[in-house]
Amino acid sequence: MVDFIAHNLAPIMFVCVMAMLLIGYPVAFTLAAGGLIFFVLGVEFSTISDQIRLFWPLLQSHPERVYGIMYNDTLLAIPFFTFMGLILERSRMAEDLLDTIGQLFGPIRGGLAYAAILVGALLAATTGVVAASVIAMGLISLPIMMRYGYDRGLATGTIAASGTLAQIVPPSLVLIVMADQLGRSVGDMYVGALLPALIIVGVYCLYIFAVTLVRPQWAPALPVEARTLGGGVTSLIGILAATALIYFATYHTIFADMRYEVRLVWAATVAVLTAYIFSLANRRFKLGILSRLAEQVVIVLIPPLALIFLVLGTIFLGIATPTEGGAMGATGALILALAKGRLNITVLKQALDSTTKLAAFVMFILIGARVFGLTFYGINGNVWIEELLLALPGGEYGFLVIVTIIIFILGCFLDFFEIAFIAVPLLAPVAEKLGIDLIWFGVILGINLQTSFLTPPFGFSLFYLRSVAPVHEWKDAVSGKVLPGIRTAEIYKGALPFIVIQFLMILLVIAFPGLVTHYKSSNAVTDPGQVEITLPPFGGATNGEGQGGLPDLPGLGLPPLGAPPANGNQGSQQQSPLGLPPLGGLEPPGSPNGQSGQPAAPQTQPPQQPDLSQPPSFN
Amino acid sequence: MAGLLALSRIIDRINEFIGKQVSWLVLVAVLISAANATIRKTFDISSNAWLELQWYLYGAVFMLAAAYTLQRNEHVRIDILANRLSKRTRDWIDLICHIVFLLPFVVLMVRLCWPWFWLSYHSGEMSSNAGGLIIWPAKLLVLVGFILLTAQALSEIVKRWGVIRGIIDEPTPQHELPPAAEGALEMEANDRG
Repeated sequence: MVDFIAHNLAPIMFVCVMAMLLIGYPVAFTLAAGGLIFFVLGVEFSTISDQIRLFWPLLQSHPERVYGIMYNDTLLAIPFFTFMGLILERSRMAEDLLDTIGQLFGPIRGGLAYAAILVGALLAATTGVVAASVIAMGLISLPIMMRYGYDRGLATGTIAASGTLAQIVPPSLVLIVMADQLGRSVGDMYVGALLPALIIVGVYCLYIFAVTLVRPQWAPALPVEARTLGGGVTSLIGILAATALIYFATYHTIFADMRYEVRLVWAATVAVLTAYIFSLANRRFKLGILSRLAEQVVIVLIPPLALIFLVLGTIFLGIATPTEGGAMGATGALILALAKGRLNITVLKQALDSTTKLAAFVMFILIGARVFGLTFYGINGNVWIEELLLALPGGEYGFLVIVTIIIFILGCFLDFFEIAFIAVPLLAPVAEKLGIDLIWFGVILGINLQTSFLTPPFGFSLFYLRSVAPVHEWKDAVSGKVLPGIRTAEIYKGALPFIVIQFLMILLVIAFPGLVTHYKSSNAVTDPGQVEITLPPFGGATNGEGQGGLPDLPGLGLPPLGAPPANGNQGSQQQSPLGLPPLGGLEPPGSPNGQSGQPAAPQTQPPQQPDLSQPPSFN
Repeated sequence: MAGLLALSRIIDRINEFIGKQVSWLVLVAVLISAANATIRKTFDISSNAWLELQWYLYGAVFMLAAAYTLQRNEHVRIDILANRLSKRTRDWIDLICHIVFLLPFVVLMVRLCWPWFWLSYHSGEMSSNAGGLIIWPAKLLVLVGFILLTAQALSEIVKRWGVIRGIIDEPTPQHELPPAAEGALEMEANDRG
């Protein structure tokens, strides 16, 4: 019996800790406790099974591991973007956008739904917080859609799904955490996710279009009396064309001798500012050159565009790291809220308080996952998982499809942070062994995690919408009609088509890796000859038991040197960092005592690659 | 028991105070980070100290606010099954898990962090980045964070026991939504209210 347990400790640990999580005690502490309990068992059993390489001094590495989490400035982006999202919600930018874009698309069938999707995408490109987007749209768009007779499922589904765009359109928290856990640069992850994200937005719109063809009564156009901004699309097209013209003109004349990125920024700034000033002048002096609609659209589009530039522009142009992009965005949101007179000390305190609590719980899940990881890797749990997954039929695609299904199911019950911190570190080394590009893998998982916000019963986006949608009958102040409340089942039903779309998108990205892997061409290609491969020294005897020594470092599987990269793109060597997967790093015990005669810590440096997540000062 | 409950109230108050105050550091970190990026690009100067200060601040936020987060019951749980249990069962689960899961973990961490911090403090360990900061304050944050968590764990145990014995009313807020969503909704309600 003892023998059986000792030799199967990894599967037993995995199942036990998962079961412990279901008790409903905070995840962070359950993971840590599970790690510690099995650490003790592992040390006891280490004489029986040579699979187990745990010894007491290893515990001393825990403080250093916590410190390692602190040291990671990529994760700083989590509080920055959360804070930004909360402040931005206060600035009522979403409200202005929904009103105006709703008016722009209102006259066509499904117009309000298109507006929700486009505003969802715009908000998603400024910040990465689902809660803020869904709450804003649920409070503003939903009552309007109800008032003008939208199908309740369609309305709620569109809003919930549009809100989740925040998790796949850069700069999303999902992509940041995914890049961190896969050991890749956030910048690459953003470039890779951009095209799939845009396709998702497009497919959502296509779905609405299809609905308006099959069931026109589900998404009627705004009645004429509700079109308060009037028509005038021609002058909108006019001013957009003029803006583009100014951009190209200045780009090739005034700013022609500047560096590429500076040039782009200045040309864009001049063009957008001109359009803005012109619209303001048109309004102020009643010039009548632009229609009211065009004028209003230009004016409301400025704040989000400025924020997108502050965040994504600076990141893509290499001016700021993703973390700094978050800080710039948060500062921008503060200024915007202040300018609108919507910022006071209570709001600020509340936003900071929520951000702090979120940061603490997220970071402690990571700390707990690290404690779990030390034991799990020490008893060769990673090898067990690897063997399990490598035995799947279908090679690379079999693995991707099965992982997609597993994550999809987990996503129905777990928060994305838990999946990212527990499951992804276990999957990443296997993916790498199969020659799967980790950015591609990360984007596939990202879309999957985005979907997890939509899947009943624990999709957060549905939760948020439920919390702002009317439960009971309510009287609409504008039309004076009494409208029915929205049932939870209707919200679930409405999300269903979007879940299907998401699933198809995942399959699409799996089938066409090029949608993601084009990120490589925007980087300098790493010369295969320069990829250094550092093998870890295999430890000698350590604790007098003569067993194993330092557990060999997990995830150091060589990249498939001979095999062409899965996607065939570029034919270049995979830029596999041979570094530690985030969970797996078994640093040697921090303290020197009890460790004499031990070989030096294996230090593996990931090969240098162009890394947007590193501040330039490190280069 | 009355004495223990009084102690628990003191711990709660201290941790609440600390948690609320460190949240300002998020704002400070945001401003430093944005300023640092802007200055680096405009004047082409940068300093590792400013970069490091950002994660020092963030470290202070999540380490020192972890106890406050525990007190507000905001550490996320998987409550699919737990929601079906009676309140009394959940109280017992919480009490036992506080003692069996949480307490050993935080006490062990305090025990491990102390020599680790002390070594760094005595050797005056500096960051390996050029112009970096001294390291022991960061390590001190980890130590203090786990000490505060240990205190909060004790307070939670006392309170949970009090609830089970019917001595006090439920002191812990219950949540359906994570902090970001709850914050946004609260602010929204304040606005309209």
